[in-house]
Amino acid sequence: MEKLFKKLHWLDFLVLGCVIAFFTYVFVQMSGNLNYHWRWEKIPNYIFKYHTGREEWFANVLLQGLIITIRVSIYASILALIFGVILGIARCSNNLVVRMLARTYLEILRNIPPLVVIFIFYFFLAEQLIQALSIENWSYKVAKMENNNIWEFFCGDMRRFPSLVSGVIVLALFESAFVGEIVRAGIQSIDRGQREAARSIGMSSFQEMRYIVLPQAMKKIMPPMANQFITLIKDSSIISLISVQELTYKTAELVSSTHMIFEAWLTTAAFYFVICFGLSLFFTKLERRT
Amino acid sequence: MNITRRLLGGVFAVALASISFSQATFAGTSQQLGAESVIETIKKRGVIKIGLDLFVPWSMRDKNGDLVGFEPDVGKKLAADMGVEVEFVPTKWAGIIPALVAGKFDVIISGMTVTPARNLTVNFSEPYAFSGLTILANTAMTEGMALEDYNSEDVTFTCRRGATPCVFIQNKFPKAKLLMFDEDGASTQEVLNGNAHATMASEPGPSQDARRNPETLNVPFNIAFDAGGEGFAMRKSDPDALAYFNSWIRRHNHTGWLKKTHDYWFRGDAWHDQVE
Repeated sequence: MEKLFKKLHWLDFLVLGCVIAFFTYVFVQMSGNLNYHWRWEKIPNYIFKYHTGREEWFANVLLQGLIITIRVSIYASILALIFGVILGIARCSNNLVVRMLARTYLEILRNIPPLVVIFIFYFFLAEQLIQALSIENWSYKVAKMENNNIWEFFCGDMRRFPSLVSGVIVLALFESAFVGEIVRAGIQSIDRGQREAARSIGMSSFQEMRYIVLPQAMKKIMPPMANQFITLIKDSSIISLISVQELTYKTAELVSSTHMIFEAWLTTAAFYFVICFGLSLFFTKLERRT
Repeated sequence: MNITRRLLGGVFAVALASISFSQATFAGTSQQLGAESVIETIKKRGVIKIGLDLFVPWSMRDKNGDLVGFEPDVGKKLAADMGVEVEFVPTKWAGIIPALVAGKFDVIISGMTVTPARNLTVNFSEPYAFSGLTILANTAMTEGMALEDYNSEDVTFTCRRGATPCVFIQNKFPKAKLLMFDEDGASTQEVLNGNAHATMASEPGPSQDARRNPETLNVPFNIAFDAGGEGFAMRKSDPDALAYFNSWIRRHNHTGWLKKTHDYWFRGDAWHDQVE
């Protein structure tokens, strides 16, 4: 602590003082204008609570939402990684048609607001896919099965499975465009000479990708990819608009039931922050080690 | 090169064919939907799926995170009478009609006021509840104002986007400014903060808010506006479903069950401890 004080110049203290004064001023102004009855003591119950009917501890709305957010984010990022790698490779393909198709997909996604993309994908793609594969009937069957613990662990309430699927698909397709760009940049950062050398010693284009380009590109891709994963978690709040029961949606529900607007939203903000910041620290550590 | 090109052509042909094929099957399912009543689908599935959005006291999350309220009671009773299980699908209000039309659930039971505009897209059952809108006003800002005074450029209203109060305010107080929010909590908070003069919502929401903040809020007029009645909403071209739900509502109006349940949630306060 003493070291810290020695490091700081008196000007630093002045700046810090100004910042603190500014926020105190804003806070005082706010509490004067804001006619609000804070009820922070109720929030912990909406995270974790002893169920008065079932007599057991259970995850209440906010934690339920958080679990679904994590689940959706993990599945969507795996899917986005697969789509993105395909897209990235297609962007560097020698075939003009493939290259143009990949470019078209990318440019369309990059130049439409995420919210609009989500609605378009939801109604025109995810819905149709769920109907065509009759996922709904299947998930109801699983929901009625006796030993569906594994399914419940990975997918949550199986009756809500179709909504999980559409959330994951929509989010993955949207994010894949950006993952694709990261992969393309990684591939193109490999010197042309290396690829030509690979071809000249008789490697096929697949072998060239597998043994020469991708292993080197991966190293360069990792940091921006980790960043993109964190962005995906934040973006997952958009799918609350298609009524996937994730954290943002559950918070909105809590707000309309109890009118605890600020407590609920601040708690949710803290949840997102802890997860995203925690991951960001974790990835930085990982990067330093490799 | 020639071979790859031909191969690509083949892939395209297959892709196009599969797209047109899948579209053909979609057309098939929608035709079936028209021919087959949703009642049959519910019976086959063994589950009735009910779309709703949360607003007090129609439906809300209790302390245990479970759905309670007037609508869940109606839904459970309906399912019990049909001999099936009930599943509630919480859905954003702004997108609830598109979701019904897209087949996400079988029926909307969510205090939806029957309006001609909505009726163009979905069918409504007979009303199963009647609740009028009331004005919830900031006491200090609206002191001594008559009803006509609210129709002024200086007055700001708030409402929940896509809900009937918004349309009503636009018609009744065309000169007033209108701010729209995504849920009732935010629109009430704006009135509490003094950023808006008043909001409108269906009873007993406003009275409850006024009771909770007696020094700032009040319900200035003892008039229920636009008491249009709320009905179940279902997809069009399904006479069987319409007939079934209408008979169900008529039956429970007759037995008095609907009135009893409605009074429990809307007239009394006995449930309040469950929620907060």
